[in-house]
Amino acid sequence: MITYEDQLDVFRLVVTAIKTDLTCYGFGGTAMMFYGYKDETKDVDLLFEDDASRKEFISAIRTLGFEETSPIKVYIPEKLRDKTRPLMFKKDDYRFDLFTKKIFRTQISPRMKDDLYAIHEFRQKHTLTINVLRKEHLVQLKAITERDKDFEDILTIIRKEKRFDWQYLIDETIWQDQHGDSWAILDMEKMMQELKKYVLIEKKYFEQLYDARKKA
Amino acid sequence: MNNTLLMEIEGLQTIKTLADKLGIKKQSAINLASRLKKEGYLTTTGGGRKIRFYKISTKKQRIRSPGMFDIINKYSPMKLNPWYDHQVHGKYGPEEALVDAIETKSFRAILASLRLFGHIKDWKQLRKYAIKKGCWQQTLALHELAMKYFKIRKIPSQYVKEDARDWISLTQLRERHNFPEIERRWHVYIPFNNRDMEAIS
Repeated sequence: MITYEDQLDVFRLVVTAIKTDLTCYGFGGTAMMFYGYKDETKDVDLLFEDDASRKEFISAIRTLGFEETSPIKVYIPEKLRDKTRPLMFKKDDYRFDLFTKKIFRTQISPRMKDDLYAIHEFRQKHTLTINVLRKEHLVQLKAITERDKDFEDILTIIRKEKRFDWQYLIDETIWQDQHGDSWAILDMEKMMQELKKYVLIEKKYFEQLYDARKKA
Repeated sequence: MNNTLLMEIEGLQTIKTLADKLGIKKQSAINLASRLKKEGYLTTTGGGRKIRFYKISTKKQRIRSPGMFDIINKYSPMKLNPWYDHQVHGKYGPEEALVDAIETKSFRAILASLRLFGHIKDWKQLRKYAIKKGCWQQTLALHELAMKYFKIRKIPSQYVKEDARDWISLTQLRERHNFPEIERRWHVYIPFNNRDMEAIS
């Protein structure tokens, strides 16, 4: 498992190895640790806007001894058939899941770029900027990745947040559906049905999803 | 730590309010505060002659590395309420914060950051960073504006060249003609007026 301090240390090392400034988006356990929702994570999830940035990041982590590993057993088979599946790199207990442009079929929406929760910059000769997505996007992406403990993490976020904006989450899910992510609504609905057993979710949010699906 | 308990006591507390809220003795409240602090859910302010306040959160309160908002709020009389959490792990000072503030294109952030000119020690670093971010022209214009209102040092002459070509807006506000001389010299639209500048003087 990777602790918060481990995560900062590994980013501090990566920034010494990169040869250009890099920007990426942090989500999943990485973002949850920046928020303070939890103390450790299985992997560091990063999303890059282009292949060149991911390549540069990969060459930096390779110099630190990370090696590519298989995503089988981590993601469900139907997700792994997708072209946009992540590249995974491992060294001891540390693991990076590196996506580019999309997280499976989910793309970076304009609101993901604008409504960031935090920006962490690691500076040496070059700068590694990690844009931490806001909590609603973390839940949205965890509903898509469907790995072990993803549901547990969603529950933690919802339980710890007094002001969780369900309308924002639904709007973003529908935006993804309208922009080519045919799984977005299905995954979200499935997650919300499961979540309903633990927390109160208003019926109107489900109806908005069903209406959007009908229109599609 | 029990999440329901944390949600119940979230916010600013004193030992007395904590004890009252949970219906426990003062010593038990102190013990609870100590446990929460150890686990990272509580930070303290005050103490000594002032009342000790305990800030309790349902999320772990991490040690922060200072970012743009921290530097501006440290040096400027105009305080900003951060709209995102900016942290820099590495060397970061007024030189970098000033340029980052210009990059935000936010009226308030840029106005508040003008006070940072009084704390610039490394002009070379400021120029290098501003050129890297493509905002040296704006920095020069803002420096001249700041010089009109506060006592600050001049930028060393070797770094100042009046070769501005394209017109640049600092924010979405344009052509207010409050400082036409500065605007014409640097080809930068200054969104501030005299009253804005007095707010940070």
